[in-house]
Amino acid sequence: MSETPLHTDHLNRSSDSRTDYSFEELLDDGQYAEPLIANGVRCHGGFDEDGRYRSPRTRHRLPAIATWQAALQESGGELLEISKALIPPQYPNVDQAILLCRHGVRDPVVRALTVISVVEGFGAVIRDVKLPDFDRSLVEPIEGTALAHLGQGLFEAHARDEAGWGEQGGHKQMWEAARDLAFENPKIPQDVLMRIMGGGGRRARKRERLFPQIDETLESMIMMLSNVLLVEIFAEQVFSWGHAVLSNPEISAEPDRASAMVSYIQSDENPHVEYLRVALSELAGRTIRTVDDKTLPGREVVFGMLHALLSQMTRTRPEEQKDQAQESLHAALQGLENRQSIEEEFRSLETVWAPPATTGFEPLSAEL
Amino acid sequence: MKWPTLAWRTWRVARTGVFIWGLYKWPSAWQAWGEGDSTHRDRVHERAAQAVLDCALEMRGVIIKTCQAIATRSDVFPKPFVEVLKQCHDSVPACDFTVVRQVVEEELGKPLDTLFAEFDREPLASASLAQVHRARLLDGREVAVKVQYPGLEDLVGLDLTNVQLACRIYEYFDPQPIALLPLLKEITDHLEMELDFTREADNADRVREIFGEGEGVVVPKIYREWSSRRVLTMELVEGIKITDATALEAAGLDLELVVQDLMQIFVRMIFAAGFFQADPHPGNLMVQPNRDTVVLDYGLCKQLPDGFGMGLFELLFSMMTVNESAMVRAFTELGFQTADGDTDVLLMIARRMIGRSDTGRFEGEFTEEMTDELFEAIRENPLVDVPTDFVLVGRVFTFLSGIAHTLGHRANVLAAMGAGA
Repeated sequence: MSETPLHTDHLNRSSDSRTDYSFEELLDDGQYAEPLIANGVRCHGGFDEDGRYRSPRTRHRLPAIATWQAALQESGGELLEISKALIPPQYPNVDQAILLCRHGVRDPVVRALTVISVVEGFGAVIRDVKLPDFDRSLVEPIEGTALAHLGQGLFEAHARDEAGWGEQGGHKQMWEAARDLAFENPKIPQDVLMRIMGGGGRRARKRERLFPQIDETLESMIMMLSNVLLVEIFAEQVFSWGHAVLSNPEISAEPDRASAMVSYIQSDENPHVEYLRVALSELAGRTIRTVDDKTLPGREVVFGMLHALLSQMTRTRPEEQKDQAQESLHAALQGLENRQSIEEEFRSLETVWAPPATTGFEPLSAEL
Repeated sequence: MKWPTLAWRTWRVARTGVFIWGLYKWPSAWQAWGEGDSTHRDRVHERAAQAVLDCALEMRGVIIKTCQAIATRSDVFPKPFVEVLKQCHDSVPACDFTVVRQVVEEELGKPLDTLFAEFDREPLASASLAQVHRARLLDGREVAVKVQYPGLEDLVGLDLTNVQLACRIYEYFDPQPIALLPLLKEITDHLEMELDFTREADNADRVREIFGEGEGVVVPKIYREWSSRRVLTMELVEGIKITDATALEAAGLDLELVVQDLMQIFVRMIFAAGFFQADPHPGNLMVQPNRDTVVLDYGLCKQLPDGFGMGLFELLFSMMTVNESAMVRAFTELGFQTADGDTDVLLMIARRMIGRSDTGRFEGEFTEEMTDELFEAIRENPLVDVPTDFVLVGRVFTFLSGIAHTLGHRANVLAAMGAGA
């Protein structure tokens, strides 16, 4: 199914191979030799005695995820993979962002970094995902799986990683720190929230049900898990973009510290990708009980949702992102004498990308 | 203005002022105060508020508007006072049609019959400053004509001077006075805005620009040729009152989506555009069968300072993540001030607000209880200066929360913001 599997070597299986963890354990930080202070703000995570960054709440969470993944594979289950070829490029790309900053046009980059930080903060909503009655909705039991731990610490750890908790900042504050270090506390464009809330055509929509025959709460949860997983995987482009832009000494005032922040965030995101992968894989390997007491292979539902989401995210969303970025670029270049030449050079640096013909999760009839 | 009118209005305000003064300073009242008898204290507040309400209903116009403003400031006034004066939001008796005709003809410079093919004698609605009539233009378009009560602008100066004088006397004699004069200044500013209907027309146009075609927001078109400072002619739009759940459901509308639409509209105005309609009580909101939301009445709109939306977002966000130092930072950025610079009070306020949520954690809904808690905490700590912009925004979310609850749902601000994220 996958051309380029995601890297998972960092996940070390628990030495005692236990599969049940308490809420507190999954949120346990362990000890740090030194806390992470990001541009003056205490953030989560910290450094061990060798100066290596350690992600927050991973003392038990990482081995737990590795154990659940191994257990799945040992029982003949398939750990689903998303092809990296499906990840659309960040817009503007690294060269385009550097070009703009070189010409003193920093607003689009500052805006992009601010939007990323705000969106990360909204990641906290994962703690509000409603869980279905698994005993009723699934034929097979879920004891000792990641699924059984979603509401027992995995969602909460994820939410805290993204938005921070108490006096410890999370990814929201870390992206802000990276931005402020690199661009020396820049003025935040006033239209950031307008960009996030959409410039047009947005109104509340009832989510279309893809599998009305299954419990609605279960369907919503699978859709949410799939959506967040894809956002996390697609963020890989954002990380490489952020790292390249913020580590460029030509435009970044603090290339080392700013880009290190991006690396820390990226490392924190790995457990998110992995627990979501294993939870969805566990669902795909189970049998779903429909509302009228029939059964449906979990694979059909999970793959169906991933296919629908990937089709939309690889086709419509890159264009939307591009349109928004171009709009903000147009505004930022207003009044500049060399506006035309910058725009021409900007266009010449464009990344040519087309989504692959298939998502790897096509419905069975299409695969045949 | 005629002398008898001037004398009567001055006397009426003075009489009310003296009555209230006596009520609070009467020895038995003091005694009860000293013993901490809150029931008695509330009764005194209620009697005082009733006297103010009676005065307002008799004098109408500016005084009613002042009472409406007081009814939104539970951060300043005691709860029983606020509760009694909330009655001012209910409909005010309408003016006679001959008066309406006279205002329209004076303002638009032509006989009514040459301006409108039809003009209903009975108003669709009447409020503190104006009433609205259904009419039809000569070309057949149906319109709503908002007509200001005559003489209001003349009375504003006099009434405000009288109220101001009463406030000054109160502040002079009371050892620990409530700061009424800044509040009065705020009321004056809002009144000036609301009395000029050309400004209301500009506000409506500005809000319309925030939302594009097909975004489900209906702002009635303004017909400027038939409008002036005291007459506002606009497109007649119809819909179902937003709190009429039965009618909404009968029209096949999903109440949850109605609430989500409403939240997204106001969140977008406040956080993103920084310009918003600041009076979203249920009478100003309707829903059409295609689920478009109609927003009426742009008399009170507010332009927020740069960065206010982001500051508000940071406050909500810090409450959600229980980050106390971030809450204090956000309060400060929003313009909250303490007399001695001590931020512990702000922290206490934030904790009390969070403590009012169902879970003890802020989940994005700015409820009436939380706003009450905020204002009560501030009232107990009068050294805290609350930015008026924040009061208005808080009031808007209180209205929205009330509407959402009436429809059986929750008005989650963060969810409405996150819908686009």
